Amino acid sequence: MANLTIGCFPGLVGSMTYDFALKLAEAAVDKGHTVSIWFSGNATGSVKANQKHLKDYSTGETHLKRLLEKGVEICTCEACTVARGVQKPDGIEGVQWNAMHWYLAKIHGADRVLQIGGE
Amino acid sequence: MGDVKVTFLVQRPQYKGETSRLAITHAIAYQTVEILLDDGDTVTPDLCFVGEGVLGLEKGQKAMDLYGITSTESHMKNAMLVDLNILVCKEDLQKYGISEDSLPDAEEMGAEVKINVVPFSDIQKSLESARHVLFF
Amino acid sequence: MKLGVFVSDYTLPWDTLDRIQADTLGLILVQNGIYHAVSRQGMQPSPLLGKTDQVYVLSEDVETRGIDASSLDAKAKVVTYSDVVDIIMNDFEKIAWMG
Repeated sequence: MANLTIGCFPGLVGSMTYDFALKLAEAAVDKGHTVSIWFSGNATGSVKANQKHLKDYSTGETHLKRLLEKGVEICTCEACTVARGVQKPDGIEGVQWNAMHWYLAKIHGADRVLQIGGE
Repeated sequence: MGDVKVTFLVQRPQYKGETSRLAITHAIAYQTVEILLDDGDTVTPDLCFVGEGVLGLEKGQKAMDLYGITSTESHMKNAMLVDLNILVCKEDLQKYGISEDSLPDAEEMGAEVKINVVPFSDIQKSLESARHVLFF
Repeated sequence: MKLGVFVSDYTLPWDTLDRIQADTLGLILVQNGIYHAVSRQGMQPSPLLGKTDQVYVLSEDVETRGIDASSLDAKAKVVTYSDVVDIIMNDFEKIAWMG
């Protein structure tokens, strides 16, 4: 089994790239791979808890919780997150908060890295 | 596992979007990654600019004055201060009429490295020798 | 270098992909990138398909857009998310996301 690290920068709302990143992560963990996800840029807004699922918009919370239960490590860039007005107590439980070197450390141990930019 | 080489490839201009700037700051983070790694493990990034990614690298940026945000120029100087290997595509500078003299350096701040203006073939070599490639 | 490239847009405004040399190049078409593999009467084939014979198209993104798989270029292989995981783990050494 291998180790996949995904860097996800696009926002939850306004793009379906975020959804792609989570679906790929789930497919990988379901096959027994170890998966880490790093959120930076607009993706960090997705770690806010209590998201309302309106059918015109994707929702991240349900998927993130399911990935966490499956053992996927998820970390948000603290600076990017607080810049968007989301503080740790408001965040989804189980999501880690750290600095950019967390991502580089995961890259160090990864067999494959998929960096998904934000625009 | 030792050293892992990673190539950051910036293909888009700075400022309108955030991603190109995040490439620079993520590459700079190599300096502190060792606190999360085992002894002897390191990450060595190359930071490359190609295509429209070479736009937004010129000296004299006033983003702090006008928008209150750190300029790309400042981030590039910080990258040089931490000895990042920065490769800027020579052909693309020529394509967009940007002279090598207009690129920033951080010599006055004590940096020992400068931006390397190189042919695309050198950037190809960086991509080939890297364990992972990160496109921005 | 064995490089797998995810393509998620139909319009590619930059030329990195034209310049990178890879011994093995695979294209994994996702999101709006799947339109590169759609062949319809009067529609020019995407030049992207000329770059390699290894072209994969994500089934969910084809179906989401109402595209009939029979209208895809013969070169394109329709794959699931699970297949994509196997492809990036087994067929390529490095993977990249292109817009």
